[in-house]
Amino acid sequence: MTDYTVDEIMCTTLAAQFHDGDEVCNGMASFIPVAAIMLARATHAPGVVWLAGAAGVDPRPDRVPASTLEAPLWRDSVMYLEQYGDFWHYAQNGKNLGIFCVGAAQLDMYGNANNSIIGDDYHRPKVRLPGTAGLGDMGSLGKKLYYWNPNHSPRSIVEKVDFRSAAGYLGGGDERAQLGLAGGPELVVTNLAVLDFHPDSKRMRLCSVHPGTTVEDVQAATGFELLLPEGEVPETVPPTAEQVRLLREVIDPDGMCKREAGVRS
Amino acid sequence: MTKVMSIEEAAALVVDGDVVALQNMATQAAPMAMVRELIRQQKRNLGLVCLVGGMPVDWLAAAGVIDRFIGAAVSMEQFGLCQQYRKAVEEGRIRVEELSETALNARLGAGARNLPFLPTRGLIGTDLIDINENLTLFQDPFGGETLVACRALVPDVALVHAHRADEHGNVQYEPTILWPDIGIFPKAAKKVIVTAEEIVDSEVLRRNPDRTVLPGFRVDAVVEVPYGAHPTSFYPLYGYDTKFHVEWTKVARDAEQTQVFLRRYVLEPETQADYLAAVGGSERLMEVTRI
Repeated sequence: MTDYTVDEIMCTTLAAQFHDGDEVCNGMASFIPVAAIMLARATHAPGVVWLAGAAGVDPRPDRVPASTLEAPLWRDSVMYLEQYGDFWHYAQNGKNLGIFCVGAAQLDMYGNANNSIIGDDYHRPKVRLPGTAGLGDMGSLGKKLYYWNPNHSPRSIVEKVDFRSAAGYLGGGDERAQLGLAGGPELVVTNLAVLDFHPDSKRMRLCSVHPGTTVEDVQAATGFELLLPEGEVPETVPPTAEQVRLLREVIDPDGMCKREAGVRS
Repeated sequence: MTKVMSIEEAAALVVDGDVVALQNMATQAAPMAMVRELIRQQKRNLGLVCLVGGMPVDWLAAAGVIDRFIGAAVSMEQFGLCQQYRKAVEEGRIRVEELSETALNARLGAGARNLPFLPTRGLIGTDLIDINENLTLFQDPFGGETLVACRALVPDVALVHAHRADEHGNVQYEPTILWPDIGIFPKAAKKVIVTAEEIVDSEVLRRNPDRTVLPGFRVDAVVEVPYGAHPTSFYPLYGYDTKFHVEWTKVARDAEQTQVFLRRYVLEPETQADYLAAVGGSERLMEVTRI
């Protein structure tokens, strides 16, 4: 079996979600999604359209750079999107940019996200988080949201977010649909497992556990009772030797994803 | 009439209590020389508008210049959260109006067009609407769909940095990503102050009018400041200064060390040349220019 690290299985799992013709955006500090997009484009899905940092169209960076919101990422783009006039016009129009990869300080059992505050008083928070940025839009604009979280813990995967800075499935069931919102959280890829949302109740559900991790490990790291799939919980498909080689030698030789996932190299 | 002035004269156009739209992203394109001058002139009770704010927000918070923030996020990306800003918010010294990007763009877009509001579909289903008196749900009068009305925002001043400008205030950018800071801030604000890497003859701008992003009739003041965005990046001229960001993050949790840092890099250097010497001179500038 191929040796791989946790950032690598997160990258290959995310990469497998992207197909030719998909239009995918990344935001800031998004090393694992950027590596996943680059891996998909270098292997099974060269026709993935990439909106790098919501700014550069189809760039060709020579590697995952030290920032996912700076010019080295959008090197060799075919177009620069002006953020006010271009990017949000295309993004608000349902025809384009269907997939957004995002991280959140807290994600709850119905896929609602919090990047605003920890605590119960918005104006005197225990912790001020960075802010909702584009996530507060993407949650309500009918996009498919792919969450990644390299620190799956009861503090980050919680029963209810302290503050809802992006809409998931709200209180579950058809609550989201009743507000007229399409799309929503599609998948959650963590350092332990892959999770999705039950089609009816919209509760977070375990899809697969990474090799070496048990269902009990994942449950213990989760702030609420997880739904389980029927039958035995499958293992996440591990990276191939070629995927590992590409990630280490070509796509992310500086180990930005390892740094993001806290992997010592 | 020339609009060229000194950084001191330009900063004096900013009045205590003003709402100031400040160009920057996590590590990008901030008019840092102007930010330092605002601190040197001991401005107080400014409200700050940013799409994404980075180091300048942290400095202005540490120096007690700002008491409101209106924007979508504050972060220095790989250099972490802005600790002085964060502490000020947690202690109630800075009040945050957190907007999504489309909501901020809608507020500024309404301000620019002299409309009372513009709508967005963003933020529906979040808690950010309930706590913000500048956002409210309403029914589309044509189809009945529920949307968010975003009240017009007219900043008192927009502060932007550019590659070049002429004395009339025509402002030009080299081919690069254009954030809303240059796309909408100057259109919405009452006053516009531009720092530029160089001030050139209008003939230079006339060679590439497609690169002129702001007409002189919208601009009030122009200041020449080479490396005026350092330590943030200003592509394609220079990248962000990694060492300087790391130096700041090391002191930013400590009140006393923060003040020592600000004295050394903000209060003591009297000119841009003094500042550039303080941060390491031509050797350091060569490093950030090698991108």
